[in-house]
Formats: sequence, C-alpha cells, structure tokens
Amino acid sequence: MDMKKAIVVFVVAALVLATTGLWILSSYGKFKLFDLATFGIIICVVGFAVFVGYKRLTSARRGEPAEDELSKKVLQKTAAWSYYVSLYMWVGILFIKDRVNLDTEELIGTGILGMAVSFAVCWLILNFRGVRNE
Amino acid sequence: MNNRIKEYRARYNLTQEDLARKVNVRRETIVFLEKNKYNPSLKLAYDIARVFESQIEDIFIF
Repeated sequence: MDMKKAIVVFVVAALVLATTGLWILSSYGKFKLFDLATFGIIICVVGFAVFVGYKRLTSARRGEPAEDELSKKVLQKTAAWSYYVSLYMWVGILFIKDRVNLDTEELIGTGILGMAVSFAVCWLILNFRGVRNE
Repeated sequence: MNNRIKEYRARYNLTQEDLARKVNVRRETIVFLEKNKYNPSLKLAYDIARVFESQIEDIFIF
C-alpha cells in the first residue's frame, strides 16, 4: 500500500511531463521566452514531485509508512499556507492583467503554475522549519 | 515541550530508524521530535513511552 502511494506520485509526474511534451511538440517553432520560462517552472514542479515520491519510496523500503502523523500535518499546513499565498497571487494577476501583453490562457497558466510553485515552496519551508503545536 | 528521546534511545541502544519502525512512523518524524520541531500526538507519545518501558512524563517534559 505504501509502495503504491509512492508510485502514484511518479505516475502523476510522468503524466505532467508527457502533457508538457505534447504541448512542446504542438507549438514547435512558435516558442517564446515566456513559454521557455513556463517549461522551466514545470520541470521544477515535476522535480519536486519526484523528490516527494523518492522520499516516500525510501521510507517504504526501510519498512516505515510512506505517510505518518507529521507528514499529514505538514501537508495540511502546506495546503492552508499555499491557499493564502494563492489568493494574493490571483489578486496580483488581476492587477497586472491589463498592464502586460499576455493572453488569457497564458495568465491562467501562470496562475496555475504559481499555485503549484507556492505549494512546493510552502512544503519545503514547513519541512525544514517543523510543525509545532503553537 | 522538551523530550528525552535521544537519551532514552542511547540507553536502549536503538537507532532512529529502529525507533521509527517500532512506533510506525518515518525516521524524519523521530529526527523532528529529537530536535523539538514537532510535538507528537498523545498516541505517538504513548507508543514511544511503551518502547522505552517508561511513563509519558518521564520522556516528555511539559
């Protein structure tokens, strides 16, 4: 069961990579600097997912659970933090949408990627800082 | 909240991995507990105390 949970992360990461590959192939030759930046961020997010999957896999191999009370608490707090960050980020996007030369799809894509990045950053902070019952 | 997990672990000659396996958590959780970066649930505190054949209040200092 724990091994399955770890493998699910790798499958999702592979799906994201495959979708990104399709997007690159379909827009071959029309790549802009903005698209390159988006591609870089997607690779970072996939790298983060692979890192989480690897951590779960090594835990399962050592005979430990892939998830325990600390990791669930970290995940809950990460979700709460990244939700707040995302709210402010979307407000920021609404503010800049008339001031930058980006299509609606690009702005929505930026917002979704921003949410993924804020989740990853919050998770990393909480994993190093720890979760005390303040 | 402070704790004496490291001290008890040394007394019982257990590694962080051994203790993690005995109380069914990840090794990282034991690391965080020893660094006082995480306050365990009552169940985990009880499980740890049972491994060390002690009372919860002997290991966890409120």
